[in-house]
Amino acid sequence: MAGAVLIALIAFGATSIGGFWSLLNLRSNLVFASFLGIATIGQTLCALIGGLDLAIPFVLGAANIGLVRLMNGGVSPGLGIVIVVGLGGLIGAFNGALSNRLQGQSLVVTLGVGNAVLGLVQILVSKGGVSGISGGTIEGKIPRWIERFSTFNHSFGIAPAVLLWVALIVVTIVVLRMTWFGRSLYALGGNQAAAARVLVSSWWSWTVVFAVSGATAALTGVLLLGYTGSGYAGVGDPYLFTTIAAVLIGGTSLVGGRGGYGLSVLGVLILTVLQTILSGYNLSQAAQEAILGFLIIPTVALYARSPHPRMQI
Amino acid sequence: MPGTERAPTYFLARQRSLVTPLILLCVLLVISAWHGPHLFTSDGLAGAVIGAAPLVLATLGITVIAVAGPAGVDLSVGPVMTFINIVIVLGLPLVGVSSPVLVFVAAIIVGVLLQVAMGTLIACLRVSTVVVTLAVYLVLDGLNTVILPEPGGTAPDWLASWGAASSILSPILYVPVAAFVLWTLITASTFFRNIRLMGANDRTAFVSGVALIPTRIGAHVIAGIFVGIASVMYSGLIGSADPTAGASYTLSAVTALVIGGASLAGGRAKGLGSVIGAIDIWLISYVLSTFNFGLNASYWVEFATGAVLVAALFAGGILSGLSPRAWRHQGGLAGPTP
Repeated sequence: MAGAVLIALIAFGATSIGGFWSLLNLRSNLVFASFLGIATIGQTLCALIGGLDLAIPFVLGAANIGLVRLMNGGVSPGLGIVIVVGLGGLIGAFNGALSNRLQGQSLVVTLGVGNAVLGLVQILVSKGGVSGISGGTIEGKIPRWIERFSTFNHSFGIAPAVLLWVALIVVTIVVLRMTWFGRSLYALGGNQAAAARVLVSSWWSWTVVFAVSGATAALTGVLLLGYTGSGYAGVGDPYLFTTIAAVLIGGTSLVGGRGGYGLSVLGVLILTVLQTILSGYNLSQAAQEAILGFLIIPTVALYARSPHPRMQI
Repeated sequence: MPGTERAPTYFLARQRSLVTPLILLCVLLVISAWHGPHLFTSDGLAGAVIGAAPLVLATLGITVIAVAGPAGVDLSVGPVMTFINIVIVLGLPLVGVSSPVLVFVAAIIVGVLLQVAMGTLIACLRVSTVVVTLAVYLVLDGLNTVILPEPGGTAPDWLASWGAASSILSPILYVPVAAFVLWTLITASTFFRNIRLMGANDRTAFVSGVALIPTRIGAHVIAGIFVGIASVMYSGLIGSADPTAGASYTLSAVTALVIGGASLAGGRAKGLGSVIGAIDIWLISYVLSTFNFGLNASYWVEFATGAVLVAALFAGGILSGLSPRAWRHQGGLAGPTP
C-alpha cells in the first residue's frame, strides 16, 4: 500500500518537476531521508509497543547544541558524540521506565522530560560558554570529518550518513523480526496481558525501546550538526511531527503490535519525495506542514482504526 | 480505586487529585509573596487574571476531551486558539462585526465547528484522539502562518482594553467566573455523566445504552465553547493577531491538565483541578519572571514547565494509587484491550 503511494509519488514528481532525477537532487533527498529515517527508528519501536515519544525533537536539539558546547570546552569530538548519544539513551530510558510505571502515559511524560532537558541544556550551554548561545544558536569549530559525514560532496559518491542509515535499517529489521526481544515487542503491543503471561517484562521493554529512541534522536542531532555546521536548539522542531507522520503513513499503527521499521522507511521516503514535490511547487514551509496534516487522517483511517465496542464484548 | 472506598472516606478520596495542584499553588504563592509582591497589588491581580484567563479556559476545554478518553489529549488547542484569534482580529472586521456579544458568539461558533469536525472524525472513524488533534495541529499551525505571515492587526477597542487590565472588577474577571459557573452546570448534567462513563469504559457505556457517537461529539461541542471563550480572552491579552505565539498553549494546557489531576486513561478529571493547574502554570512563569535570568528566562520557563509536569506525574501516580498491574488490565494508549 505505502509502496504503491511511493511509486505513484515518484512517477508524479519525475514527470512534473524538472531536475527530479538529477544526481544532486537524489543525493540531497537521500541525506534528508537518512536524518528523518534514523530519528524514526525510535518512534517506530515506541509505536509498536503502544507508546509515543514526543521527546525526540528536544533530545535532538539538546544533543546538537550540547556537542558543540562539549567540543568548545575541549572534549574530543569522538568522545563528545559518545557522551551525547549515551545521555540521549539515558534520558530515553528514564522516559520509558516512567511512562510504563505511569500507566503508559508516554505522551505527557516525554513532553515534560523533553522540555525539561532542552531547557536545562540551554541553561548549561549558555553558562560560561567559550562562545555564548544567542537565540538558541551556538557557534563552534566543527571538525571536518563530522561535516563530511553528513554532506553529499564526498569521495564516497554518497554521504556516509546514508550508508549509516542503510546499516541501521538492516540491524533494526533483523532485531525486530529475528530476535526474541523484537518479537516480544509485537507481543506487548498486541496484548499486554497475554505478553505478561509469556514472561515479557513490559517495564524492561519500555525502558529499552525508549532508550533506543533517545539514542537515535541524539545521533540525528549529531548528524544534523555536521550538515548545518552550527548548533541550534530548535533544529529538531520539524521532527516532532514528521517522525510520527512517517510511522503512520508507513502503516504502523499507534495502538501497537502491527507494522515494522521497513514500513516506516517507506513512510520516510514518501515524506521526502512529497517535500521535494511541494517545494518544487514553491509552497512555503507552513503550507507544506498544513498539507502533511491533511494527509495524516486518511492514512490513519486506512490502517489504524480501533474496532467498534460491540466487537470487543 | 475510588469506587471501592467506604462511604465516610469517599468524599475526601474523591478530592485526592486536588492535593498536588493545591500544594504547588501554595508553594508558588509563598514564593510570589517573597520575591514578587507586586502580584498582590490591585494592578498585579488584574494582570494575573487576564494573563491566566486564556490558559484557565483552554484547560477547561481540553478537560472535557480528557474525560471522554481514552488517552484523550487534545494537542490542537494552541493552533485552534491562534486561528480563532486571527478570525477575531482580522476576519470579523471584514464583515463588520465588532460588538462584544457578536465577537463572543462568533468565536464560540468557530471553536465548536472545529471541535465538532475533530469529534466526528474521532467518533465515526474510531481513530485515536491524539492522531486527529495532531493532524489538526499541523493543518492549523501551517494555515495560520499562510494566512498571516507576520503578527499584525489590532483587536476591537473594548477587547484591547481588557489586556491593559486596569481594574480587576471588570469583564476580565466576570467572563472566567461565568464560564466556570457554566462548567459547573454542565458537569452536573446527565449528559456529562454519560461522557464520564464512556471515557472510563466505552464497552460498559455501550452496553448501558449510551449512544457513543453523539456523546463523543457532544464532549467536543463543550470543549469548543470553552476554547472559543479562551480565544477571546487571548485576543484581549495580546491585543493583536499573532500566527505563532499561541501554539505554545498546547504544552501549557496539557501540563495544566495533568497537574490538575486529570486521568488520561479517561473518565476522571476535575474542572477545579484544571483551573488550579492552569493558575499554577501561570504562576510558574510569573515567579520565574521576577528573577533576573536576562536572556535565559525562556529556557528557565521551558525547563520549569517540563520539570513540574514530570513531578506532577510522579505525585499523581503515587496519590492515585494505580499500579502498573491495573494499567495492564486497562490497556495503554490503545484503550481497553479485549
